[in-house]
Amino acid sequence: MKLIYRIAIRLSALLLPLLALWAMIFYFTMVREINDEADDALEDYSRLLMIKVLGGESLPEPGDGTNNSYSLIAVSEEYAASRPAISYHDEDVYIEDKRETEPARVLVTVFPDREGDWYEMRVSMPTFEKQDLQRTVLTWVVLLYLLLIVITVGTTLWVFRKNLRPLYSLLEWLDGYVPGKKPSPVPNDTDISEFRRLNAAARQAVDRSEELLEQQKEFLGNAAHELQTPLAVLQARLEYMVDNAGLDEEMLAEASKMQGTLSRVIRLNRTLLLLAKIENGQFPENSDVDLAAIVQDLREMYSEIYGGRDISCDLELSGPLMVRMNETLASVLVSNLLKNAYVHSAPGARIVVAGRGSVLDISNDGKEPLDAGHIFERFSHAPGAEGSTGLGLALVRAVAERYGIKVDYSCLEGRHHFRVDFGTVIAV
Amino acid sequence: MKILLIEDEPSLQELMSRTLRKEGHLVETASTYSEAEDRLAVYSYDCVLLDIMLPDGNGLELLKALKDEDRTEAVIIVSARDSIEDKVRGLEDGADDYLPKPFHLAELSARIRSVARRTRGGGTRGITIGNVTVEPESSRVLVSGKELPLLRKEFDILSYFMQRPGHVVDKAVLAEAVWGDHVDQADNFNFVYSQVKNLRRKLEDAGAAVELRAVYGFGYKLVISGDE
Repeated sequence: MKLIYRIAIRLSALLLPLLALWAMIFYFTMVREINDEADDALEDYSRLLMIKVLGGESLPEPGDGTNNSYSLIAVSEEYAASRPAISYHDEDVYIEDKRETEPARVLVTVFPDREGDWYEMRVSMPTFEKQDLQRTVLTWVVLLYLLLIVITVGTTLWVFRKNLRPLYSLLEWLDGYVPGKKPSPVPNDTDISEFRRLNAAARQAVDRSEELLEQQKEFLGNAAHELQTPLAVLQARLEYMVDNAGLDEEMLAEASKMQGTLSRVIRLNRTLLLLAKIENGQFPENSDVDLAAIVQDLREMYSEIYGGRDISCDLELSGPLMVRMNETLASVLVSNLLKNAYVHSAPGARIVVAGRGSVLDISNDGKEPLDAGHIFERFSHAPGAEGSTGLGLALVRAVAERYGIKVDYSCLEGRHHFRVDFGTVIAV
Repeated sequence: MKILLIEDEPSLQELMSRTLRKEGHLVETASTYSEAEDRLAVYSYDCVLLDIMLPDGNGLELLKALKDEDRTEAVIIVSARDSIEDKVRGLEDGADDYLPKPFHLAELSARIRSVARRTRGGGTRGITIGNVTVEPESSRVLVSGKELPLLRKEFDILSYFMQRPGHVVDKAVLAEAVWGDHVDQADNFNFVYSQVKNLRRKLEDAGAAVELRAVYGFGYKLVISGDE
């Protein structure tokens, strides 16, 4: 969720109870104020009537133009004693003129005349409909709420965007950063010290990680280079011994095993160097390469080398698959995938190399899906793969990354599929 | 041949010079750039084996200096830096060959023989042992002057052995040399055995004076028939 949405939601959520509370207070204050006014008017009216009653004057006729009404009844002294001298309440009153019941404010008072007879006088005055008022208040509060939301959120958004622009440009820059590629300078056109510090910190972090990556690459390359000479010495001494020491059969077999292990170390070292070279972009020259032809050559070779396993390899290629890449790297990519299929296939298995458009799909029989997250890592060995450098698929990935080629692994219907999309380098 | 071996790693220097001396070359050694410079200033050689990374300088500079002086020494670069740039630059600067470390000593001998053939000029560029001649350029094999048709891999195997006469070659090393890195996870070497078997039969049928002798448990070596 974006920060700005979170802020908008929180603001709206906070405004809702606040406005509800405000509406309640507003409503009750208003009702109280209106009642106050009505009560004052009723009191005046009742006083007027009372004076007329006590003075023996005739009372005004009901329906004298106002909607006020009154009633006067004689009550017992006990009843009068049980009532307060004056009380107010709300009541629905039937109004003769209008022939309908309306809410009214009612004043009830008991008083004695000169003879000591007690009367109860009820004076009523139609007032407002509470429900109407509630509805109106609610409507206006909702409108106010919406207006406030629009204004607050709008203002906040504007202020937020205006002030956090440096943050967004930094984020955009970070999104565009690819490890190993030289980054463009951090956007730093702000005079807010917090953002300046953040930008500086981002710059430093990226510089450091670039430096470490560079050092790691260099270290790998240098270590592999430094190993070349001692390996050469070892290789030469072993050969010298075999040629000249007159070893018996048993020792020769031992020497052969040593040679095998040594060859493996040399191969490993050479592959590491190749990886370092690919990652350093040391294969600049591109040419038009026909992958279909490479696949055909490789199939012939692998079926010879792995002939003992009776693996069948079907090519489903509609014609040449021309790509524009370095020929060595194209061959590294395809040969490692195809070799992978041969090496990890049980005897009698079937390999299919299918070309569809810009996609090359190399598949072979397999029981368990592989760990797609790790197979392209360096030294990710399949169990029991003796002689494997564990670098084949790492090479594939390095080549693919160099050209922006997409390589996916999936396991479908008991077959491992390696899909390579050469879309970015396809030659037209 | 008189060879100057410029290599700073003592162990490798000793091995290389021992091997070359055994093959009848006259070998002098230099361990540093300045030592090499001194020797080249005073003496001339048929061939210079040049390590690029020297403790006190870059071998490529030495190569440039030699070529600037129009010296006739054949130069073979021996380098741990197996990079295309170095190779291209070395060859552009006038080196005759480029041998990346780690290499097989037999390979070194083969390269020196090949450079020697080239610098002597003229004559056939093929390698002849007994009555068998291998011509790498045309991929032809002649036995007593008559062409022997071979399959591609058979030819590659024979060339490999012809460049290393008398050396015992491990079967895995042979496989890697002919089939490339692709063999590293092969379960067995039957494909090598069958090719070698066919090659031996063809050589025998053609009356070749050389044979590929099996060295039990290790591999093969090329010997002149009847030799022990």
